[in-house]
Amino acid sequence: MSTSHTTASHAKKGEIFCQDESRVDWHSKALWALREKRDRAAGSLPEWEQLRQLGSELKLHTLTHLGQYLEEFEQNCQANGIQVHWAKDGVEHNQIVHKILAEKQVKKLVKSKSMLTEECHLNPYLESHGIEVIDTDLGERIIQLAKQPPSHIVVPAIHLKKEEVGDLFHDKLGTDAGASDPLYLTRAARAHLREQFLSADAAMTGVNMAIANKGAVVVCTNEGNADMGANLPKLQLHSMGIDKVVPDLDSAAVLLRTLARNATGQPVTTYSSFYRGPQADGEMHVIIVDNGRTKMLQDKILAEALKCIRCGGCLNTCPVYRRSGGYSYNYTIPGPIGIAVGSQHDATNSMPWACTLCGSCTHVCPTKVPLDKIIHHHRRLKAQAGQLPYGKSTYMPLVGNFMASETMLNCSMSVARTALRILPGALLKPFSGAWGKYRELPVAPNSSFEAWFNKNRGQ
Amino acid sequence: MKIALFIPCLVNQMMPHVGIATVELLEKLGHQVILPKGQTCCGQPMTNSGCFDEAKKTTLKLLNAFKGVECDAIVCPAASCLVAAKENFHEFDTSPEAQAVINKLYELTEFLHDVAPISAFNKPFNHKISLQLSCHGIRMLDLATPSEQMGPRTNKVEAVLKAIPNIEIVYPGRHDECCGFGGTFAIDEGAVSAKMGKDKAQAHAETGAKYAVGFDPSCLLHLDGMIRRQQLPIETLHIAQVINAAL
Amino acid sequence: MSSKQSILQALKTVAVEPQAMPNIDVSPRLDDVIGQFETNLATVAGTLHRRAGLEGLQAKVDELIAQGLQVISTVDGIKGNRAVPDTAHELKDIDYAVIPGDLAVAENGAIWVNNQNLGHRVTPFICENLFLVVEADKVVANMHQAIKKIGLDAGEFGVFIAGPSKTADIEQALVVGAHGACSLNVYLV
Repeated sequence: MSTSHTTASHAKKGEIFCQDESRVDWHSKALWALREKRDRAAGSLPEWEQLRQLGSELKLHTLTHLGQYLEEFEQNCQANGIQVHWAKDGVEHNQIVHKILAEKQVKKLVKSKSMLTEECHLNPYLESHGIEVIDTDLGERIIQLAKQPPSHIVVPAIHLKKEEVGDLFHDKLGTDAGASDPLYLTRAARAHLREQFLSADAAMTGVNMAIANKGAVVVCTNEGNADMGANLPKLQLHSMGIDKVVPDLDSAAVLLRTLARNATGQPVTTYSSFYRGPQADGEMHVIIVDNGRTKMLQDKILAEALKCIRCGGCLNTCPVYRRSGGYSYNYTIPGPIGIAVGSQHDATNSMPWACTLCGSCTHVCPTKVPLDKIIHHHRRLKAQAGQLPYGKSTYMPLVGNFMASETMLNCSMSVARTALRILPGALLKPFSGAWGKYRELPVAPNSSFEAWFNKNRGQ
Repeated sequence: MKIALFIPCLVNQMMPHVGIATVELLEKLGHQVILPKGQTCCGQPMTNSGCFDEAKKTTLKLLNAFKGVECDAIVCPAASCLVAAKENFHEFDTSPEAQAVINKLYELTEFLHDVAPISAFNKPFNHKISLQLSCHGIRMLDLATPSEQMGPRTNKVEAVLKAIPNIEIVYPGRHDECCGFGGTFAIDEGAVSAKMGKDKAQAHAETGAKYAVGFDPSCLLHLDGMIRRQQLPIETLHIAQVINAAL
Repeated sequence: MSSKQSILQALKTVAVEPQAMPNIDVSPRLDDVIGQFETNLATVAGTLHRRAGLEGLQAKVDELIAQGLQVISTVDGIKGNRAVPDTAHELKDIDYAVIPGDLAVAENGAIWVNNQNLGHRVTPFICENLFLVVEADKVVANMHQAIKKIGLDAGEFGVFIAGPSKTADIEQALVVGAHGACSLNVYLV
């Protein structure tokens, strides 16, 4: 399986993924099952659409008063004995983390899931400085052992079959050869990671919400790995994007009601932990990271992407993501939200076109991020920057002129209809390109509608 | 009512039967139908690729075809083109004349449900149909409540069709998942688009329906190509053809 | 300019018009909150004991101790066989922890636990199995109500616990008992 983040276009990577159709069906079905669970959970609340609206409004309120809330958050954290750091980008974030760890001579760091640290490429940075980093979320640990990036933001190992995990664990953890029972493999990982938790010098987590008026961070997991980590060693670190802050606990309650329901269909994550200070004799650090977010806020449409609470619901519903896989996007975060926040990092410029603009993601989103609108906007930005993929910069002006001319359109379509009608399919196939490779060409009518109308209804 | 037809280029050139059915059914319902001259593409292939400059000329030409045309409504038998026309007209022309055109634009189902409901069908349609609820129609025109959305549900397409005697309406699995057409997506992302189309075509065929019926000709064109390639025992029909057959 | 200053500076020109904070007023579902709680606790793989009371719980704990298991309790009136140790790491062999919860949430089966009642913060996570004890009149309808009642003073830690630890990271197969407790029994008293 290809895991490389090469510079091939999304279309090319999607085509490679689609070569194994039974695997595509398996992948699509597994993710659609999450969507169905989400529908049941959302449908069980009469107030679901009200919660989406509240989530959208409170996030937008916070984003448009972000400086004020971040400062309030910092002050309250400091009053609670939490040390706050600010990083303008991923590099600075990694340096800050390393400095904190180095001062305490940390040799082993246990981490729970954080897409931000993936975005900053923290693990390789720390490892290059001699610090062992253990991802503790089961899915994350699986892909860490397999030396792969996450293929989904909530279920990072969704692309792997249990037999593949079994082989990996046999190789790395010494489980029985051929064993692939999820319960057996999970228990083996539990035993393995217990040792890591107990021997770690520091723990790190991401942040689901940061409560400005309390100076607290909220961390949500199902496995309990964030809390096993943060509450054993005396040093805990939490990395957050500037977009994670919310005004108060009431705001957090709204988002906690939709986050897990939209992600996996659970009514709430197993653990929703509120850290408002370090443990006794412990140290707690929060690193607030920009890394391009303030720039997104300078664009009215892109800004709304920062309402995202990383539930992964848009990935699960996306018909393209389910059939192209998490590695087909040239960014750490795949799927619709990945296109929304990562398109500017895609050297092939193809990400905004990995979408049919069906709009399902926008309707699934618990904070009403207008994903289809943002993706469409990215296409416009790429066009304005002269960075169109798939030869569009050459043919689009031609299409524009062609479509604007009735004469040209009528003449050439008349020829095309005749060709489609009279030439045998085998002769047409080589000329029909990507359409005819997968589909039959249209059955061409004798004349246009306009010709019929003029003949039959003409004055 | 006096109705001006908006016939998108795809329907005009490749699916005239959809336009013909639309004319006939509207006339049977007692409306006067005109076809303003000079209609071109709505600009969607260009704007959906981010190429707004390239779309401007054709969009404004289409808009001009309707400006000043005396009519009660402008009706289009293609939801996606209708949505694009609305958005693109607004994008390139903010004049009151442009707004007057936009205000009269209706997709066919929308028109038959909201503006001029059909009082009665006089012929049966003795077949099972599998409804193709295409994305732009449901998520941007509110023709049916999308499956992602919770709360009260509407379905204007079913509401219009279910009054036809003997008709049996069913839905494919994942009933409002995208068929994979997506305009240039079908070409740019051929493999993924085709897989989506194949899944959708199979889902329709699995219902045992004789026809997959929808309101968006472009999706139907895609589905038709998939159905014939997969040799599935189902055919596509536009909603106008079904309604016309029952009047 | 420091990174903090440059971030705050950049935030002075956000492209979106300032939005007002919405009024959060969501109607709670008030019918049979304990029944709702029981149903939702079961959904998240926890078990509710409505009538056993502290006596029933102590009997259960005695039974476990008789089997040679390690039980720690921070609930008044429930006696285990282990005291709160000096370090959190010494809890690694705890089989059962008995902990008081401050309130329970009907809509999702979650129970709020504050670190004042934990000994060490890691207790409810590191134990193999967990008992939570909640007073029956402390069941609220939803998270909006719960969040107004939780105790989280400056410097504290608190957690909503909804069921035992779980994962579905291998082929979406639900496995109970990932890193935290492998089972959760809730006693209403």
